[in-house]
Amino acid sequence: MPDWVQPVVDYILTEGLPNTLRVAAVAVTGSAIVGLLFGTLLTIRFLPLRALLRLYIEVFRGLPILVTVFIVYFGLPTISPSLRFEALTATAIALILWGSAQVAEATRGAVQSIPREQHEAASALGFGWVGRHAFVILPQAVRRLLPPFVSLLANIIQNTTLAQVIGGLELLEAAERQNERLTAPPPIGLGEIHSFAIFGFVAAVFFVLSFPLTRLAAYLEKRLVV
Amino acid sequence: MKRIALLAGLAAVVAAVLVAPGPAQPTGKTTAATPAATPKLPPLPANIKERKRWIVGVKCDAPPFGYIDVRGQNAGFDVEIARWFSRYAFGRDTRVSFACAPTPAREPLLTTDRADLVISTFTYTADRDTRIDFSRAYYKATGRLLVKNDSPIQSLADLKGKRVATTSGSIYDRWMKKCFPDTSVTVTDSFTNALLAFNQGRADALMWDDTVLVGVAAADRSSKLTNDTFLALPYGIGIKQGNTALKRWVDSRLELMRKKDSFLQILKNNVPARFVNGFSKNILRPSNTFGYAPANAPSADTVCP
Amino acid sequence: MLVATYDLWGFVSENWQELLDGLIRTLKVSAFAIVGASAIGIVLGAARAHRVPVVSQFTAVYVEIIRNTPILVQIFMIFYGLPQLGVTLEPFTVAWISVMIWGGAFNSENFRAGFEAVPYRYREAALALGFGPRSTFLNVTFPIGTRIALPSSINTYISIVKNTSLMYVIGYSELTTTALNISNLTLETPEALTVLAIAYLALVWSLSWVIRLLESHLALPERS
Repeated sequence: MPDWVQPVVDYILTEGLPNTLRVAAVAVTGSAIVGLLFGTLLTIRFLPLRALLRLYIEVFRGLPILVTVFIVYFGLPTISPSLRFEALTATAIALILWGSAQVAEATRGAVQSIPREQHEAASALGFGWVGRHAFVILPQAVRRLLPPFVSLLANIIQNTTLAQVIGGLELLEAAERQNERLTAPPPIGLGEIHSFAIFGFVAAVFFVLSFPLTRLAAYLEKRLVV
Repeated sequence: MKRIALLAGLAAVVAAVLVAPGPAQPTGKTTAATPAATPKLPPLPANIKERKRWIVGVKCDAPPFGYIDVRGQNAGFDVEIARWFSRYAFGRDTRVSFACAPTPAREPLLTTDRADLVISTFTYTADRDTRIDFSRAYYKATGRLLVKNDSPIQSLADLKGKRVATTSGSIYDRWMKKCFPDTSVTVTDSFTNALLAFNQGRADALMWDDTVLVGVAAADRSSKLTNDTFLALPYGIGIKQGNTALKRWVDSRLELMRKKDSFLQILKNNVPARFVNGFSKNILRPSNTFGYAPANAPSADTVCP
Repeated sequence: MLVATYDLWGFVSENWQELLDGLIRTLKVSAFAIVGASAIGIVLGAARAHRVPVVSQFTAVYVEIIRNTPILVQIFMIFYGLPQLGVTLEPFTVAWISVMIWGGAFNSENFRAGFEAVPYRYREAALALGFGPRSTFLNVTFPIGTRIALPSSINTYISIVKNTSLMYVIGYSELTTTALNISNLTLETPEALTVLAIAYLALVWSLSWVIRLLESHLALPERS
């Protein structure tokens, strides 16, 4: 292994990888919470609420995530100085906006697929709307949501690379910085371009993170259908 | 005997310094504890003094000015200037925290108080001056054009109908779009990608700072620089608008570094030895001063050859 | 940047030509990529559904690699990687090929599921009537399977349109790159973002609406 490899790999894995995982964790958690809430609220027969939520979902599913990232990072600060976020935070927020729209839509589908009898039985037992959903409907819906949810996690992990476009230090950006250094002539770098090796490595790391999740999602899908 | 002579000599020097008017004394902790009677250097602004730390925005992917070195630390010409400031302010060069400032983040870092200074290949333009303040000029980069040895392009005049690679949002990007409408500009998000595009034949020429291109041309036997030099635009240190105390401090220390020829050492640390001579005109030296264009002159990136 | 200096009309009227060019390029890239992704999806999906040897394994590997790596890295590899192998394509070609390769992977899964979901009794009936395997596919499995796969493949096509925005990283001047390059030079970022948001939402929503109309026409009787 050539000398230049070790420091590059070290930097990518110790500076880039933790941030990628952090952003993904925050984004997935946020998407889950907001998405489950919105998705359940979508089933309420109150038109203004449904319309508002529907608008939210269609907007954030309709925009390319890159554009959402730019809106959060560059657009929000022009509305109010307190809305200025750092690159990684802005990416996490954009991913939550997109992810929660996906989860909300999936939740709506899952909740609506629970047979009426469950609602009726729960009411008969004395549960109110909130209790019914919290203790009877949602637990069943969540089981059906598991496969798409695991896929979403894999998706979000890969979409954290969008932070690179605004300079956030995640895996891809860490790789880019090392790449720029190597291109410069000595004493700074090597004066050689090693883009493929470096980005191939990045792809491999993402593959290792993501492949188990997509396999898990496929497995859960099969188990559900049965 | 020797000791007495030394003490006498020291006393003479101190006396001479006290009496003679002239350049101000450095106020770092390393000088003798005699207050200078000559004009003091501007003091460090209180908020930075309290914090005991600088927060400086630098590039993290633009060697030789700001990049991440092999140990994962910030390094580069601009980074070393920040370390010098740390020495001047706090006596040690470790009292700096660096924030990565890619091009679109440079101004916001200042306007939102996320950084005290931005030393990030920040070219002075009158337009930018309306939103932030700049220190005096500290580096003068020149634009160069890199072509393949057998290219039909011999100078800027031959660019009609050709493709030129450069980075998105740079001075070169703007200048080409304004002054060379018949030339197609291939923009990439980083210099390495622009270089790759040029190497792979996606562009006929590469336009960038001399500081980087000279090294590339030297290392690559199949390409060379044309003789054109253009857009000799100085970099300045970005400071929040209105912070005159900080600007005075920064300008005074830059002047000090110029007089002591500190920039030459910084240049030597970041540029291959054989180019140091060639670039010595780009830095502030005792015998080399430069500034910005007069305020009412049109911005250089709008002036076409 | 103050909201007070927001001037949407000014931004649009000064730059509408460039923006329109960008939009047209987005549509062109999307169109080529969608057609390509359909072809890939149908062919490879059918191969996997019918367990064609070699092709099935290749498809499985292809799908897993594309699904588990970030599309940004894929675009980069295609743009800078192919020339190392001697194939230098212009940015437009790289743009639609990279999105097609991405979309084709997902689409082959969509169509595989669609073909596999065709009730076996239909195929049995066709075989009983004397159709050979190829005719069965063309006359029975394909028409029904592609309709079953319609919703998921539509989602993939819409994602393809959205992913053309990533051509920003190879500097191909589709809509997002054009708008952002303009705003880099003129610092009218809020205006540029507004234009982008409106343009993409209009594009995606109208595509969705048209396709849902088609879907209701094409839906299978027992599923409508």
